[in-house]
Amino acid sequence: MIGDVVKRSLQSSRVLVPIEELLGDASGSRMPEVRPELLTEAIAQQVVHACPTSALAMERDKSNTQTRLVLNYGECIGCSRCVQAGDGAFLPAKKFGLCGVHKEALVRRFDIPSGTELVQDQPVLAEAARQILALLGRALNIRQVDAGSCNGCEAEIIALTNPFYDLERFGIHFVASPRHADMLLVTGPVTRNMAHALKQAFDATPSPKLVIAVGACGCSGGIFGGSHAVVGPVDAVIPVDGYVPGCPPTPAMLLTGILRVLQKTVPSTT
Amino acid sequence: MTALAYAKSQNAFLETSGLLRAGNARLVSLFGSMDDDGTVLIHYLLDVNHCHYQLFSSIASGSVPSLTPIAPAAAWYERELTDQFGIECQGHPDPRPLLFHENWPQNIHPMAADVTQVPWVNGEYRFLEVQGEGVCEVPVGPVHAGIIEPGHFRFSVVGDTVLHLELRHFYTHKGTEKLFQQTPVMNGSMIAESVSGDNCFAHAVAYCQAIENAYGITVPPRAEAIRLVGLELERMVAHIADVGALCGDVGFTVPAAYNSRIRETLFQASARFFETRFWRGIAVPGGVTRDVSEASGRELSRLVASAAEDFARMARIILETPSVQNRFETTGVLSREAAISLGVVGLAARASGMTLDVRKDHPYGWYRQTSFDVPEYGYGDVMARARVRIDETAISARMVCNVLEQLPSGPVCIPLPSSSNPQGLSAVESPRGELLYWVRMSEGKVTRCHIKSPSFQNWPALPQAMPGNIIADFPLINKSFNLSYSGCDR
Repeated sequence: MIGDVVKRSLQSSRVLVPIEELLGDASGSRMPEVRPELLTEAIAQQVVHACPTSALAMERDKSNTQTRLVLNYGECIGCSRCVQAGDGAFLPAKKFGLCGVHKEALVRRFDIPSGTELVQDQPVLAEAARQILALLGRALNIRQVDAGSCNGCEAEIIALTNPFYDLERFGIHFVASPRHADMLLVTGPVTRNMAHALKQAFDATPSPKLVIAVGACGCSGGIFGGSHAVVGPVDAVIPVDGYVPGCPPTPAMLLTGILRVLQKTVPSTT
Repeated sequence: MTALAYAKSQNAFLETSGLLRAGNARLVSLFGSMDDDGTVLIHYLLDVNHCHYQLFSSIASGSVPSLTPIAPAAAWYERELTDQFGIECQGHPDPRPLLFHENWPQNIHPMAADVTQVPWVNGEYRFLEVQGEGVCEVPVGPVHAGIIEPGHFRFSVVGDTVLHLELRHFYTHKGTEKLFQQTPVMNGSMIAESVSGDNCFAHAVAYCQAIENAYGITVPPRAEAIRLVGLELERMVAHIADVGALCGDVGFTVPAAYNSRIRETLFQASARFFETRFWRGIAVPGGVTRDVSEASGRELSRLVASAAEDFARMARIILETPSVQNRFETTGVLSREAAISLGVVGLAARASGMTLDVRKDHPYGWYRQTSFDVPEYGYGDVMARARVRIDETAISARMVCNVLEQLPSGPVCIPLPSSSNPQGLSAVESPRGELLYWVRMSEGKVTRCHIKSPSFQNWPALPQAMPGNIIADFPLINKSFNLSYSGCDR
């Protein structure tokens, strides 16, 4: 019987997705992309109104003369309402690389009159990543901690181990205890009932250590942000080195985020 | 919805307990709501004679008699009612707080009060103690070894053998039902999708149907058919993954990897044709947001059929493997009596000899036009639950393919009318079982939303399946139920 299983498995076609195709891949992510040249004041108002979270907002610059549209991927739950309301100025992203980045880098600003994106400096990533790379080379042990998620992020994290993504090919694997981990992958808005356990898991992880906040809830609290039973995003409880937005982030986004925090070469997209 | 009856009564408790005692009704849910003037109502929802839902409501002032001594299925619902509304259930055998842990002040009840600033306190929680010579306690969680959700299990063991298991959950309690309040009805489906992420489409459809029930509309046939495709695809994905994970738990890793691959092909098919791996954002009150072209439907049908064939072949090998039979059979038996008294639903009920399926008992949407079988096994062990999953996967695949071949024509979404009834109710058979939404609304906003989640109902049954088994079989038994923590905790 076991022989049949192995035989059948070996006979099936190869499904492993090459790394080049995964990095920055946005299929199934539902993340929006903006065409700034098509933005008008009216469209900006429409999309801000359509957005059920505060991922889209209007902002005035310092001199209070120009209006800007702010898109915060950390709060985006991928409902696509901006795509429907955006008259072509919003469309589903074909590439999405803002994974494993600093919190500020998740926020994009668009100058409406000139139809351009305001580019900002990218903050430098964690020193711990350099230390872990120097110590361990390619190997990385990840402990996943669910601090209150809806289990959508867990479903996608589990998918990272399937034969399409095969995380182990990068020397990365999931371990059973924070004491064995170099990195915590934390999902969910941190609930009141999980805040203590999350802090304990962080304290139990030996230094140098990295933390990635996963999903809209992990990045910003998501739709659960204002709840009485929720403390806030992951960084309200423990320090975070990189953020992976999405509701839930796809395996490609998670992989891009993990590798970027490790300062591997990830082509910058979007 | 068929045959949904509302009954306002002076003493809902007496009528409910009468029907339950007579044995021709099943407790579906028990919950509270608050009127604008601060009056708290208690609602008992029964499934009478397996064919219609009946809601009994009456005013609850301060305290109500506990239903738990008559119907053990009410135990957690009543503890939740006390936590949320401050209604005392007199005569409840276990009145400890359920939703809120030691950090929460016991006199604050979020559904009945403003909860912007809740102080942190250091309370105490007492686990049940099993006494006797050689009895040890093994605490597990909330952070587990695998990539799963948080929850706490407290085993009392003698040697390897479990005498008693106590659950402590609600680590992922997010106050979801309160979040629904003041949400525009069109946005509620987004919250519903985040109640239990792996069953997000079932939650979204149940919410939308409840809203449509209140507005008194039926969505276009094409929308109903597309919803059926999504619901059955979700069931296939869940069952295929679970059967693989069960194999993983008995050290049979090749089928585990193989099934994870089949599951991924279905996710990718959804991403290709619907731009979402989990069908998020598809269901909205009034229909669905995406249509499917004839060519896409044909291709999706082909992919689903081939995934089901792949899985069926693997499932046959799994079931014929002696080491699997050895570990699955007679492990984690949930007796029919225990399942009935705890009101167990879904595949766990069908594996313990209960004929229970919302799609058959309370047909909704396109299921009214569809014929299908519901598998049932009587042994109540891990093997029975695995077999129900394997059979259901094949049935779901056939349904998806049949429906895609004959998709009715027409629009996929209609606008909501201007006026509605104040409340709506709807149930769907999610991959885990009966999932029910009850909504109240006013002026286009949700004022109360109660979610009866199959996981909330079924978790108390897990400790009934544990005694006499060895602790090393717990992951397997737990997986065979595969309940959602977030769906339960909300």
